Amino acid sequence: MSDKHTITVTVNGHVYTDDCEARMTLADFLRRQCGLTGTHLGCEHGVCGACTVFLDDVAVRSCLTFAVQADGARISTVEGLAEGDELNTLQKSFQEHHGLQCGFCTPGMLICATELLRDNPNPTETEVREGISGVLCRCTGYDGIVKSVMAAADSQRDGVSESGSIS
Amino acid sequence: MTTTTEPKSTKYAGKPQPGIDDPSLLTGSSTYMDDITVPRMIEGAVLRSPVAHARITRIDVSKALELPGVFDVITGNDLVEIAGEQPVIWYPIPEQRIARAHALATDTVRWVGQGVAAVAAVDRYVAEDALELIEVDYEPLPVVADLEQALAPDAPKLYEDWPDNISGSMTLTAGDADAAFAEADVVVGASFRHHPGYGCPIETRGCISNWDVFSGRLDVWLGTQSPNLARELFAQVLSVPVSKVRVRTPEIGGGFGLKFDFYPEGVIAAILSRRSKRPVKLLEDRQESFVASSRSRDMRHDFEMALRSDGTILGLRGTAYGVLGGALGTVGSGPPWASVLTSMGPYKIPNQELTLKAVMTNRSPYGSYRGWGVPKGNIVHERLIELAARKLGMSRIELRRMNFPAPEEFPYFSGAAFTFDSGRYADCLDLATSAVEERGWNELQREGREAGRSIGIGYGFHIEPGAYGPSRVLNMVGLDHSGFDEVYVRMDSAGKVTVLSGQISTGQGTHTTYAQLVAEGLGVPIEDVTVVTGDTESCPYTGYGTGGSRAATLGGAAIVNATGRLKSKILRIGAELLEADPEDLELEDGRVSVRGAADSSVSTADIGYSAYRMLNGRLPESETPTLEEVDVFDPANMTTSYACTALLVEVDRQTGAVKLLDCLQAHDAGVIINPLLADGQLAGGLAQAFGGGLFEEFVYDDDGQIRTASFMDYLIPSATDIPPFHFYHQETPAPHIPGGMKGLGEAGTIAGVSVVGSAIDDALSDLGVTVCEFPMTPPRLLELIRAAQSGEATT
Repeated sequence: MSDKHTITVTVNGHVYTDDCEARMTLADFLRRQCGLTGTHLGCEHGVCGACTVFLDDVAVRSCLTFAVQADGARISTVEGLAEGDELNTLQKSFQEHHGLQCGFCTPGMLICATELLRDNPNPTETEVREGISGVLCRCTGYDGIVKSVMAAADSQRDGVSESGSIS
Repeated sequence: MTTTTEPKSTKYAGKPQPGIDDPSLLTGSSTYMDDITVPRMIEGAVLRSPVAHARITRIDVSKALELPGVFDVITGNDLVEIAGEQPVIWYPIPEQRIARAHALATDTVRWVGQGVAAVAAVDRYVAEDALELIEVDYEPLPVVADLEQALAPDAPKLYEDWPDNISGSMTLTAGDADAAFAEADVVVGASFRHHPGYGCPIETRGCISNWDVFSGRLDVWLGTQSPNLARELFAQVLSVPVSKVRVRTPEIGGGFGLKFDFYPEGVIAAILSRRSKRPVKLLEDRQESFVASSRSRDMRHDFEMALRSDGTILGLRGTAYGVLGGALGTVGSGPPWASVLTSMGPYKIPNQELTLKAVMTNRSPYGSYRGWGVPKGNIVHERLIELAARKLGMSRIELRRMNFPAPEEFPYFSGAAFTFDSGRYADCLDLATSAVEERGWNELQREGREAGRSIGIGYGFHIEPGAYGPSRVLNMVGLDHSGFDEVYVRMDSAGKVTVLSGQISTGQGTHTTYAQLVAEGLGVPIEDVTVVTGDTESCPYTGYGTGGSRAATLGGAAIVNATGRLKSKILRIGAELLEADPEDLELEDGRVSVRGAADSSVSTADIGYSAYRMLNGRLPESETPTLEEVDVFDPANMTTSYACTALLVEVDRQTGAVKLLDCLQAHDAGVIINPLLADGQLAGGLAQAFGGGLFEEFVYDDDGQIRTASFMDYLIPSATDIPPFHFYHQETPAPHIPGGMKGLGEAGTIAGVSVVGSAIDDALSDLGVTVCEFPMTPPRLLELIRAAQSGEATT
């Protein structure tokens, strides 16, 4: 169709070039064109936060972003978090502290928490709650999630003191 | 903190095992409904009624059919050529008028959002474009927007051939309620209202239906909690043999009862598939979910309680109104019925007269949501007992305690349907009150009040019927389905174990707890256990589905039984290989060894090899080959879990806002398989209930239009709305469930609404406010506060 645009994005280090209509959301582009179905859609109006991804290092709602707006951007999704075959510190902490149940909001929660810990490596519990309040979880009552993020912050601090840098 | 009945020496059961599915969920590698594409698949969308009550006078789909990329457009009249009416499986009210509807409306629409046409197109974008090209003319009919309108003497009727809008009513009695109320020293009563809300999983519903007319097979991917039931109902509605229907479930992004019910979209997608000869994916979007997924909670309870001046409860009576929609959903008036059955709660009430009226309105169909009516039964008994305590000048804790059945009185018949299996209710109450003291809440409240803050402590005691249920009893009370559970436990030729179950996992940890039970029961590493669910072609039959606190109790019991028998067979084969007596053998960490002689052992791989491949000289002549046990477990009774919940809140008297500061619960669900996951269930349920207690509501206008069809208006709690949680367990095993589990998936939703009312009342005790309506939003609470301040009655 004539109203299609060709865009190129780098997602988790891989370059994807494809055509899309102007109205296609970034979430649908990631899920349908790139095959990255880890990013989930819970409301498609920018409230639930399940679709949160990094767009040039800023956490954004991919359901409120058009794919064409992301042309040339660097994107990270939940599929890019693990370190090789190992869960990263935050992911391990979510498993250990039962920070997830059905897993549907989890991709957005992880991206959001990653940004939170990057910007504030020593958050208080109140700061964690505020930091993740843009992602809605219906399963956990947030208790396990808050514990997971707090524990991940502790682990990252331990990692810093041992190796001098955040792994 | 855990108080157990006996010390545990287990390796897996009772331990905080993290979720075995978590790594794939944490890395984006799991497959949810919308992640699935099948070859040749196209996508659908449903056109929904914009009005609450109208006659359809014309539908023109021709322009939609001409849109490039559109494969098919169907209306209700096309659908009824192939499909019957949507099924109802619960008939708890004798002689109830059952209003059924087809998956798409044919001549009349009775709620906003009822499907009137559907499109299949190359993708969802084009399908939605096509919806805009369908022309429908509606001739408006008078709207019955709420319960009060439906009950008015001159109310318009939803069904012209009915005398009124009442679908059915029934009364349950025990003793003589009228006599009890006549001799009572004190009577307290109120009208309690829980407004409508819904389960609201973050993943909406969806399916892919592939109906191949040439093979006659209907192959469905469905986001459901009840694959076996769905298979039966597809067969029933579409007149195909059950054997030709396959239902598979992918990873499910939350269910909460909402995904138990059997919805029109699965049938619509099947019809579109059959006609277009392509598999059709049909997903609900969030906005649709508010009108297309089961509406729940919507009830009014006008109840009163009679007591002697010493606090003894003599009687309970009242009428409950279930606000049904324009047609009955899958579970009919089941949840409102359950609210009445549990309205006496944990208290001994010898005289009861409990009436249920199921009333039709121009709202979407009523259906399942975690707790299934019991949260509103809980509002009745917990709000009334606090009103009684105030009127009698007694402690609300002591009034509860003195009316509990004692541990030796179990099994205890509640007076209406349920017999509670076992319990130490007073111990549980003490566990909660001592935890409140330990955490310093009482002092915090004293200090806060001195500083002018409105701090309140709420209490609630709840019961949770689980292990739904003995099949024949369920049939007798009106369920057109069964309640048993079946499981296969299979060790393969390499000595690893696969469990197949008809239950599914929506995040509650079914797979993890089943793996724990098998690993514990057999004596194999948990890594050696695989749990398979979600395919009616390979997994066994389960009655009902994953709901009614059944997975741990019934599935767990079946696993305990099957695993026990499988272990015996493994030991008998091990005895042959080791030339020993089976009685002298033990199975631990995947090795069968002679007790006390660790060097004399064989692995489960050796056992598997002997049972599947090298039978000669290794498998005893008396044994059949293979290592598989099947167990069907139909419980003798339901289970009854219980808890005492306490909630610390602060009320802002200027705004009516309620801040939840802290929450604890002393809980008894019998034997706990996994405390980490158990606490997650309790916390998640409580958070949902706090949403229903304070924020979440389907708001309708006088035309029956829903005003809250997005997350901007329907407010589910975020992390800043929900308090920390602290759980305390005691374990009183279920006497008739192998393994002793009682179930706890619905505990939080049952407990969490009334306790919000209790806490607000306590925070405003100087004003004498009584919370009877939920959600207690800031405007509602401000109204109560102002009425109390100006000296008006609040109940």
